Amino acid sequence: MRNKEISFWLFVLPALFALTVVVFFPFFYGFYYSFTDWNGLTATTFLGLENYIAAFQDSRFKDSIEFTIKFAIASIILVNILGLGLAVLVTQKIKISNGLRTIFFMPNLIGGLILGFIWQFIFISGFDAVGRLLNLPFLQGWLSTPETGFWGLVILNVWQYAGYIMVIYISYLQSVPEELVEAAEIDGANIFQRFWRVKFPLVAPAFTISLFLTLSNAFKLYDQNLALTNGGPFGSTEMLAMEIYKTAFFRYEMAYAQSKAVIFFILVAVVALTQVYVNKKREVEL
Amino acid sequence: MKRRVVLALAGLITFVFLMTGCASDVVNESNSSDNGGANAGNTDSNGNASNVEVDIYQFKVEFRDQFEELIRLYMEENENVQFSVQTVGGGNDYAASLKSQMASGNEPVIFNIGGPTELEEYREYLTDLSDTNAASLALDGTLNGVEENGAVYGLPFAQEGYGLIYNKEIFEQVGIDATTLTTFEALEEAFTKIDEKKDELGLDAVLALPASELWVLGNHLANHYIAPEFDNNILTAFEADSISFKYSDQMKRMLDIQNKYSVQPVLSLDYSMQVEQLFSTGKVAVIQQGNWIYPTVQQMDENFASNGIGMIPMPFEGEFEDHLPVGVPQYWVVNQNSSDEQIQAAKDFLDWMYTSDTGKDFVLDEFKFIPAYDGYDADRIADPLSQDVYKYSVAGQTIGWTFTATPVGWNEDVLGTEFQKYLSDHTSWDEVLEAAKENWENSRQ
Repeated sequence: MRNKEISFWLFVLPALFALTVVVFFPFFYGFYYSFTDWNGLTATTFLGLENYIAAFQDSRFKDSIEFTIKFAIASIILVNILGLGLAVLVTQKIKISNGLRTIFFMPNLIGGLILGFIWQFIFISGFDAVGRLLNLPFLQGWLSTPETGFWGLVILNVWQYAGYIMVIYISYLQSVPEELVEAAEIDGANIFQRFWRVKFPLVAPAFTISLFLTLSNAFKLYDQNLALTNGGPFGSTEMLAMEIYKTAFFRYEMAYAQSKAVIFFILVAVVALTQVYVNKKREVEL
Repeated sequence: MKRRVVLALAGLITFVFLMTGCASDVVNESNSSDNGGANAGNTDSNGNASNVEVDIYQFKVEFRDQFEELIRLYMEENENVQFSVQTVGGGNDYAASLKSQMASGNEPVIFNIGGPTELEEYREYLTDLSDTNAASLALDGTLNGVEENGAVYGLPFAQEGYGLIYNKEIFEQVGIDATTLTTFEALEEAFTKIDEKKDELGLDAVLALPASELWVLGNHLANHYIAPEFDNNILTAFEADSISFKYSDQMKRMLDIQNKYSVQPVLSLDYSMQVEQLFSTGKVAVIQQGNWIYPTVQQMDENFASNGIGMIPMPFEGEFEDHLPVGVPQYWVVNQNSSDEQIQAAKDFLDWMYTSDTGKDFVLDEFKFIPAYDGYDADRIADPLSQDVYKYSVAGQTIGWTFTATPVGWNEDVLGTEFQKYLSDHTSWDEVLEAAKENWENSRQ
């Protein structure tokens, strides 16, 4: 028994040590710095809550929160609709369904920066060329207005994550017992009724997972944001993570940025904990 | 059985960790034994046992290879000094990583700062370099941003300048003499002329304004009409509590002209589209850029780069007509916390780079810098844009680069963003100035 305990700690120690050094230490340091006037090199005075008060009065910070929430709502809805649609499509008995699965999942394997630059090219040059050819003015000048910047980001995010969410829905769709569907069919349910009345309720637990995955992903988005719009035009598409980065490394207000980061952390933590709570509750119910 | 497998796996992983740990140790050891060897050699030849290691942390990615080559040459001549160079991204990435480097305690001996704003930030790290030869040879005004009470904290990298870069062939075809375009009227007249003929010249538009690049708007364009307000003096700007935008009408006019004659929509145009896709391929006749675009244009079209382009200043009405903004983008500084030997070695190296014959050759031919020091052969400056810049610099017709001395982030983050709003009709010109003034005053309180 004792032996087991020692070996337990021996195995845990390296990971614990690494975690302490690279996660816990910086985290608590950062938390502390957010109450000071730290400039990245030295902290001289303790400011208390001053940074936090300033953060809540900072219109750019508030704008970025608003933008992030708007972005999260739009992309959650679209990612889930598209993800479920794709999942239904590839679980049909068609020959190329495996190939399709791979293709739909592929965008998720490309790094966010590369994707951002590819889509920047598509939006700016591709859309423009098509728009000129077909004389559709709304395809021209993408990413140069706040609205197109917003939708550009949403499209990119949906395109990237729909495939990932699709995989989750597939697993639930496939676990729907075949006999239920068959029974419904024998009872004369048509294809839509079979989907909405039988499959859909059974797939519902997948919604919780997908919802929170997309939600926390949308909140933490940074690289796509950086590559596609870099916050432009005029800072209108700056998401939370980017706003914090810019406060720290463009304006060099390190402690202030740190306090924003703590607020950001609390936001994301609330989302994540709610997810855990809801999932646990569901598990009990099932 | 199962437990055994787990144990074996865990053991294997631990082993791998240990191995990697050892491996890096081995590398270090071999390094230090190398040094030891060099050391021993030194003791024999010079009777000097000390082996000084100097870490350089620099930002200019474009000349990394040439710079390392120069250092190799220097180390051959001076065997008791060991240099190691780290090059980290351009612009903001460098500032951020330098900061974390400093905070981690792993401080380099030689690094770069941009001007008075960073001087203030790193003051306790900086050594006075006024006793170096290079400092005494630095051209008038180039030390302006790093000089304080007789102490010189930085040595300029080089000079750079920006203005309107034009396509000589197109100007010739339309019949415009670029040197006469010193006023707004003349410039607008010329642009209208080009605009009328743009179809037969194969142009998309007269010029390309990359308004998605905040530095093009907020740093460069604005500075042309801000610097004169501060007498072209970086330090005056650095100490100013407020900004009055004395020449804002001209600033607005320049922005409007560029917007009017540019490829649209300006807000999605970026630097690479402006320089590579549009200007280098002859689809626009004029762009507002600096001498640093030369290597890019050269890559696209060698002949066009060396014979087909020239630079003129943006128009300015009043005292500074036909003046080009010339400045020092970055300075070399030496860390005060290093040992005395390291500081001396660093000073010797910087002196050697800018004042010895080998160093000068490198600065002109390999780095392709516009020298910021006396005693260089001006005819050997590599490209036509740099020659234009040097011409204005020698004639004293220059405007300072005050954007290194504005409140942190003000030029890009505040003014540049406001310009973008103005260009897309989200705000009026007066509101732009109001917002910028207010932010300046708040940061300088």
